[in-house]
Amino acid sequence: MRRLRVQLTVLLALLGLLVVAWGAAIFLGARDAARSSVSLQSTAERVDLLRRAVTGLSRDFVSMETSRRAYLLTGDKTAQLTHTRAEVEADGGFRQVRALSRRWQGLAPQVEQVADEYRAWVRAGHTELKAKERHGAMSDALMTAGGRADHHFQELWARQTNLEDRLAGSQRAYARSQDRTYEAAQTLAVRTALMLLAALVLLAIWLRRAVGAPADALRSASGRLAGGDLETPVTLGVENELGAVASDLETMRRRLAGRMEALERLRHLSAQVVGATSLQRLAEVVLTGLQPEIGATRAVLGAARPVGDLVLRALAGFPDPAVADDIVKADDEIRQVLPMATLRAGQVVGMADLDRVATSPALHELVARMGVASLALVPLLSRGRFLGVLALCWTERHPLDREQEALLGLAGNQIAGALEAALRLEEAERAAGEARAVFYAIADGVLLSDPYGRVTAMNRALEALTGWTEAEARGRPYAEVLPLATDQVGGPADLVSRYGRKVPVAVSSAPIFDLRGRVVGGVDVIRDVSREREIDEVKSALISTVSHELRTPLTLIHGFAELLVLRDMPVERQRSSAVEILDASRRLARLIDDLLSVSRMESGRLVLDPRPLDLAAVVERILSPFRAMAAKHTLRTKLPTSLPVVWGDPDKVEQILTNLVGNAIKYSPGGGEVLVTVELDGDTVQVSVRDQGIGMSPRDMGQLFEKFYRVDREEVRRTGGTGLGLYITKRLVEMHGGRLWAESWPGVGSVFRFTLPTSDELAGSGR
Amino acid sequence: MKLLIADDEPAVRALVHVTLEGDDYEILEAADGVEALEKARDESPRLVLLDIMMPRLDGLEVCRQLKADPDTSDIVVVMLTAQAQERDRDQGLAAGADDYFTKPFSPLALLNMVERVRHNQSGAD
Repeated sequence: MRRLRVQLTVLLALLGLLVVAWGAAIFLGARDAARSSVSLQSTAERVDLLRRAVTGLSRDFVSMETSRRAYLLTGDKTAQLTHTRAEVEADGGFRQVRALSRRWQGLAPQVEQVADEYRAWVRAGHTELKAKERHGAMSDALMTAGGRADHHFQELWARQTNLEDRLAGSQRAYARSQDRTYEAAQTLAVRTALMLLAALVLLAIWLRRAVGAPADALRSASGRLAGGDLETPVTLGVENELGAVASDLETMRRRLAGRMEALERLRHLSAQVVGATSLQRLAEVVLTGLQPEIGATRAVLGAARPVGDLVLRALAGFPDPAVADDIVKADDEIRQVLPMATLRAGQVVGMADLDRVATSPALHELVARMGVASLALVPLLSRGRFLGVLALCWTERHPLDREQEALLGLAGNQIAGALEAALRLEEAERAAGEARAVFYAIADGVLLSDPYGRVTAMNRALEALTGWTEAEARGRPYAEVLPLATDQVGGPADLVSRYGRKVPVAVSSAPIFDLRGRVVGGVDVIRDVSREREIDEVKSALISTVSHELRTPLTLIHGFAELLVLRDMPVERQRSSAVEILDASRRLARLIDDLLSVSRMESGRLVLDPRPLDLAAVVERILSPFRAMAAKHTLRTKLPTSLPVVWGDPDKVEQILTNLVGNAIKYSPGGGEVLVTVELDGDTVQVSVRDQGIGMSPRDMGQLFEKFYRVDREEVRRTGGTGLGLYITKRLVEMHGGRLWAESWPGVGSVFRFTLPTSDELAGSGR
Repeated sequence: MKLLIADDEPAVRALVHVTLEGDDYEILEAADGVEALEKARDESPRLVLLDIMMPRLDGLEVCRQLKADPDTSDIVVVMLTAQAQERDRDQGLAAGADDYFTKPFSPLALLNMVERVRHNQSGAD
């Protein structure tokens, strides 16, 4: 590409030659002109000399003629002398003319003609002169000779005149010729100058085309490049050094454009990865973004756990996603070959030849399963924290070049930022999910409100309490959804549901603050305390009843004992006092037994010990103490002749029967018959206890078997009791898998019936 | 001196009987609130011993009605109850009761209290 230089050299050389030629032309032209001018000058001068010689000759001729005539007329010797002198001069003149005319070939014959005529004239003259001398004047010979001489003279004169004319013409011609020579030299000089000018113009045009325009184009191209225009290609269309510069510029432009494009892709990638909220999506976006740059077709994303090891989080581009299991299985082997220290330092690691890296058979198999030949490990570091590794995989062998390595390093930073955000989002979502699950699953009602007191969320428990669904309640004022009726400020509150149901609740509230300490809402926890309140009421009633029931016998024991100790009383009175103490003690003991039974039954600690029973014998056994005590009552039994074996806990079955028979006697204060009947009814045995006592109205019977329930009647009051007996009895029957119920008519009497199973298949075995 | 014992528990009424026996007391008995109120109005006893937990009408209400009626308002009312909570005592006093005995009570303390009432009465006579 030395073309321009060569061309320039050649051109300059040509230009030099032209200048030299021009100079030479001028010089030679001038010299020629000068030379021809000199030669013309001498020729003209010679012509001039010749003319003068010819003119002198003419003067000699005239002088000769005149002197001859004079001599002829006068015979004056002087004249003859003059004539001879003229003749000599004419001879000399002829010699001069001959010498001068020798240069011009055409002139010589003419001169010779003049000379011939001259000679003829001279001879004629001489003849005349002789004639005169011989014949004297006025002779015929003289006349004849004179005539001839005149004739010759005229002839000579004519010829002489011709010659003179010719010479004058020649002289004029020479003068003209000299003028022409100057003109020619001038013309040559002007032409050469014009040619030189033309050559210079051509040179300028060529320079403009070969150097100027390309230089301008290069200047504007470099200006465009400097200005950041990487789109317009740099083309010059000339094949010289400037063309080479242009082609270099074009190469530079392409590379810069390539870089810019890579940067643009990175920027695009960065924008894309920011939008990727899941790790899977992130891996896919990254692979799509990087594939055009580096050609990798598969990607594996691993995130670092706080302890530092990597956990596979996402795959992209693998045709078989099940390869994830293989990767997880080979975790230990992978860990051994991963250059963790280098990765932690933020260095991209290329593994062009995976077969060489995969030393163990397990890894070898994994590489084969993954269908990967090369990979690049891109560390993902965000603000110096190692977050994970992106492995980009090639199915063909692919060594990383430095440019790709640098690009991956840059891309790693972008991906790390997105990974961090995605991990944080994942964590936040998990936490939010947990919070949501807790929120909705919690058994207490929870309501969230905004700072203006509008409902933003409520959970299922509160939906059930208020009758509002969350969707309906959202955006409504707090007080509408959660109307609380309270008797006193700060006291227990009742929640009035949408359908008017009143529920006692305990409410605790707290404001919700954001990070800057501003209140962004409130949370209210509404607990349904109806159960607690019920329990409280039951407990209160229990304590009241128990304390009453305990204190009454205690009062009697204390009172009568104190009277016995401190007062003198007749013996009869002492005895009756002691009986009162005994009765009260029994009552106390029975109450305590009942309470313990209830407590054991309710806590599940009362365990049956079932065994085959002879029910007839049990009935007879429990009746005997009543027979001894109850004087007013007739105790009868009605037993079948043969009874199947009944299964039951002997103590508990006795307790059931004792309670029922005791009640029958207690609530028939007027006496009468108490009949205990045992019948076989299918698979079960039914036992009934019938009395002829005070009986009960259906209203009284409603809560008959409930704890601490006592029929509110004077006769019942008078008998005393804890209200636990029938409750315990019913529970005991049910524990045996039986059923207890009652029929009653006020003033007529009551029948209590229960069933017991005849086999050991106790429904509530043990409980 | 005439006095009324109102308690649904016969054994307690018997205890009061035995305690005051032989000291020239005329002892009336009532087994529930309504009966107590009737007997107090009819017999005008000097002293009424009232159990709180009674069928039909509780002792507090009986006391309140006795104290509200000018004919019976100067009867000395002594509450006799198995409930020992302060709330009950306060309620009793708020209902206008003159004194308060908690079960189990000392029969001799009851006797002393009754004697004191009789002395005040005889002094007033």
